[in-house]
Amino acid sequence: MNNKLIKLSSITKKLLVALFGTFLLVFLLFHMCANLFILADDGGDAYSSFCHFMGTNALVKVAEVVLLGTFLLHICLSVILWCQNRGNRPVRYQRPSRTKTAKGSKLAIITGSLLLVCLLFHFYDFYFVKLNVVKGGNYMVKTEDFVISDPSQEVSEEAQIIVMQAIQDQKISKDGRWLRQLSHADKEVLQECFPDAAFEPDFYNTAREKFSVWHIVLCYLVFFFVVGLHIRHGFESAFQSFGLNHYKYSRLIEVLGIVYTWVVCLGFAMVPLCVFFFK
Amino acid sequence: MNFTLHIWRQQNATDKGRFETYKVSDISPDCSFLEMLDILNESLINDNIAHPVCFDNDCREGICGMCGLYINGRPHGNDDGVTTCQLHMRKFDDGDEIWIEPWRAKAFPVIRDLVVDRSAFDKIIQAGGYISVTTGGVPDANAIPVPKRFSDMAMDAAECIGCGACVAACKNASAMLFVGAKVAHLAMLPQGQVEAHERVKKMVCRMDELGFGSCTNTFACEAECPKQIKRQNIARLNREWIKQLFAGNHKPSSHLSNH
Repeated sequence: MNNKLIKLSSITKKLLVALFGTFLLVFLLFHMCANLFILADDGGDAYSSFCHFMGTNALVKVAEVVLLGTFLLHICLSVILWCQNRGNRPVRYQRPSRTKTAKGSKLAIITGSLLLVCLLFHFYDFYFVKLNVVKGGNYMVKTEDFVISDPSQEVSEEAQIIVMQAIQDQKISKDGRWLRQLSHADKEVLQECFPDAAFEPDFYNTAREKFSVWHIVLCYLVFFFVVGLHIRHGFESAFQSFGLNHYKYSRLIEVLGIVYTWVVCLGFAMVPLCVFFFK
Repeated sequence: MNFTLHIWRQQNATDKGRFETYKVSDISPDCSFLEMLDILNESLINDNIAHPVCFDNDCREGICGMCGLYINGRPHGNDDGVTTCQLHMRKFDDGDEIWIEPWRAKAFPVIRDLVVDRSAFDKIIQAGGYISVTTGGVPDANAIPVPKRFSDMAMDAAECIGCGACVAACKNASAMLFVGAKVAHLAMLPQGQVEAHERVKKMVCRMDELGFGSCTNTFACEAECPKQIKRQNIARLNREWIKQLFAGNHKPSSHLSNH
């Protein structure tokens, strides 16, 4: 399959990069809206329910695979194009270019590579925890799973302490549905006593923990500055690659690109800033 | 005006090449860049200093597309919408250091000094940049209706003189602006539309084969094109390519087998 990708015509490759990129732009907007739930003043109930839906729905699981494939293809095709393009000027100019170029366009491969590195960190903290590859962060479990149906079932003292402590620390969500903020060790203990309980990652508290550290907040903001540069180029560029360029609409597309970039970047940046300063 | 010139000297295609420094003095501000090089060459010959500097040129009116030098990091130098022959020394400051390099691209190998082989462009044209239907005699002006806007756009695209500045400016050495202009100006006219699908397919495939890069939408080409060919032509090329991908979308039914 890889060989086929390389052999595609240069324009078809560009088209596919643009197509996958557009899908990622849509996803980014969706992800930003989801993140804004963290800011809801309900102790994280809305966000937890949302995470529960995203973690358990079958359609979402299919979408996840599609999304991952899109990321991979977008990256693979861009890297193939970059490698092929580099070879087309074996002897380089001695003087630096002074030609004016479109904003962010020459940086796309660099910003893209930076994003990939940051994305791996993001996966380590959140996505891999969800996949149960990485054991970290916080976990949550439905309180109804703790109803002991069988009276002969033994609950270890350790587990009782954890639950008592959690109730004392008000780790039960406001609507009473979730027991949250359990460490991985706590989760292991509880799981032994309640093998039927479905534990899920508690991303609300993981995010809050992360965003209370100033250098993580700073890295996150830098990350979205880079995202901004990348999509500022990508948005308009995708239209051009699809052949959608018209003197009547090009200004509109440019403005839409700028608005989109600011909305997404500010939307994402608001979450760590609000958590750090107000929560 | 006085200038210090750093000029790329290269004996032949296999020579490694290097910069040589020359000084020119008493240059008129109204001198064109090529006239300034003529004066340098004259002094190189008369004073028996070195072999004259080789560079391409022909009409010196900015319409033939022969000249093309990479001057101080810009194809055709520090002026917009002009070829090297139409660049004047008044665009420089007295005492400037000027760096002159040939076009750099895998598809444009250096022949000597500042002269590059641009026959790759001819090969792209040969692949499909023409109309092969018999056109017959000259038709009446009104026989084939063409909307005014389309004929204007076709003319704008047809202004391309094939100098290669787009390839020279592009960080990927892409020829998309050139191919875009050539595909666009034929695709907008009725005579060219007959073969539009085949044309774009052949020309783009040839472009890829010849070692030109792909477009990453930096639009350096548009900024440096002496004929100010627009990026819309690249979008049109992409559009024609997409149309071509879906052209001929069902098998034609055979007349004989149906009976």
